[in-house]
Amino acid sequence: MRPHLLALGAIVVVGLLAVAGVHDAVLLDLLFTLLLYAVLGQSWNWISGYAGNISFGHAIFFGCGAYAAALCVTHGLSPWLAFGLGALVAAALALVTGFPTLALRGHYFSIATIAVAALIDAFVRVSPWLGKANGFELPIAPGWANLQFAQKGPYVVLALALFALVQLATIGLERSRLGYYLRALRANHAAAASVGIDERRWKLIAFAWSAVMASAAGVLYAQYNLFVDPPSTIALAISIDIALIGVVGGIGTLWGPAVGALVYVVLAKGVALKFGGAGKGYDLVIYGAIICLIAALRPRGIVGTVVDAIRRRRGATA
Amino acid sequence: MEALTTFAQLLASGLLTGLVFALVAVGLTLVYGVMDVVNFAHGEFLMLAMYAALGLALVGIGPLLGLPLVAIALFLFGIVVYRLFVRRLLAGPPEATVFGTFGLLVLLQGIAQAVFSSDFLSAPRPPFQGTIRFAGLAVSQATVVEGIGALLLTAGLYAFVEYTETGRAMRAVAEDRIAATLMGIDVQRINGLAFGMGAACVGAAGALLMLSYPVYPTAGASFALTAFVVVALGGFGSIQGALVGALLVGMLEVFGGYYLSPELKMVPVFLAYLVVVLLRPQGLLGRR
Repeated sequence: MRPHLLALGAIVVVGLLAVAGVHDAVLLDLLFTLLLYAVLGQSWNWISGYAGNISFGHAIFFGCGAYAAALCVTHGLSPWLAFGLGALVAAALALVTGFPTLALRGHYFSIATIAVAALIDAFVRVSPWLGKANGFELPIAPGWANLQFAQKGPYVVLALALFALVQLATIGLERSRLGYYLRALRANHAAAASVGIDERRWKLIAFAWSAVMASAAGVLYAQYNLFVDPPSTIALAISIDIALIGVVGGIGTLWGPAVGALVYVVLAKGVALKFGGAGKGYDLVIYGAIICLIAALRPRGIVGTVVDAIRRRRGATA
Repeated sequence: MEALTTFAQLLASGLLTGLVFALVAVGLTLVYGVMDVVNFAHGEFLMLAMYAALGLALVGIGPLLGLPLVAIALFLFGIVVYRLFVRRLLAGPPEATVFGTFGLLVLLQGIAQAVFSSDFLSAPRPPFQGTIRFAGLAVSQATVVEGIGALLLTAGLYAFVEYTETGRAMRAVAEDRIAATLMGIDVQRINGLAFGMGAACVGAAGALLMLSYPVYPTAGASFALTAFVVVALGGFGSIQGALVGALLVGMLEVFGGYYLSPELKMVPVFLAYLVVVLLRPQGLLGRR
């Protein structure tokens, strides 16, 4: 546990130094995106990595936060309220949709998450109070009270704080009863049930926490981007990005999502910047190829492979 | 009277739409049935087939003549993908096939975008563009041709799996991989063949769909999404189930689009999926 805390502390220090020293808007933008995706990946990792239910609809929880922020701001409320409001809605949504679907196995669950996300997407697109397909443009009003800043620095600091919080929560998860139960359920649900682990109950708890984390990321995203609409928040494409980040880094590992987000941002965004725009597909080619290679050769992901190697070495010396 | 005509018209459109869905879904269900893999890149195979059909159309080979060519090309492509890639996924943990085929989806979409750009492309002067009028109903010739193609394809695939030696071997592998190996069946060969045939089905589908749809890098994705629902409704692995599920989904989509709103046409489809997987997880015609 201690090395993880030290690593997290080091990341926070480096992040803060970067905010203080770097004034390049493009770099700060990449840093913010990286942290946001790391949070989303970790949120996904709770239900899909530790609990083993691969979700392809996780963006709906991200959307909860983004839309909560948009609604708060457009109704004259403080966007800080959106953290609580978005979390409540996201957790409720996780409980309502998770209750029937979390017991589904494998692809049945995965396709159910796609179906649920598509239904919510359709619901948003026909709801006038949710801005229909047009979404919301948030008025510009910088200041801490409005959770809005003229510079990118404070956003990065907030994202860093959220990332640290989520990593701490996950360190806690790995050592908690919930964490052990989830991994037991993932390894063998029948064996876990036979020793009295209530699958639905523990997975619902994990799902709700996972939704709350994604929602917090959504609030930050809305305040950063100042524009919220279905394609940028709840679309299937966003859900897939989140899932792939979790997979590349290594599902069910503490640092997997952060590593996955790093690979995603450096490769996908870096390539898109270098070869002119994301519309050309080069980012997809590289990213898709990496996922294929990992799935075929190293299905435990980057971090999972490293962890395995360390365990083997320790096992050999002990 | 008018309401009745509308209803009959919707019924006809729903059935024909459903047959188009069946065209895409049969290949998916075959692969699932034999090797327990949901190929998330199935729609991207369809997209490749549509580009191939478009290429043939540009050199003057029409969709019906081009159909077997595209199907053979996709069959070979499927076998290569199985040998190089899917075989390795099967050796890994169960989730490897889910995200591995998802990675393939991203890769193929990216390649299509890089090579063909994101433009919508249609076949030049496709045949069967007229409308058939019958007893007050109007249906496009293209969808009728696609529907007939779907019925032939489903029947052919069903007959193959039921009555040929290779088909029997496929069913044996589907039932019990280890027992099949012990009976002297080369599981890798059968898996490869099934994956190739699944791709060939989508090859035939792509050639037919170019009659009435444009192709673009994500053209296959929406068809595939519907196909997942179709296959789940009918029962994963069941070929007859895919046909029944497809007709149901076609009907739900057309009626939903008419009576709700075109934006909401997928809502009854996804609701139906959720209801079926929750109440009857094996699907309408599937076995547990």
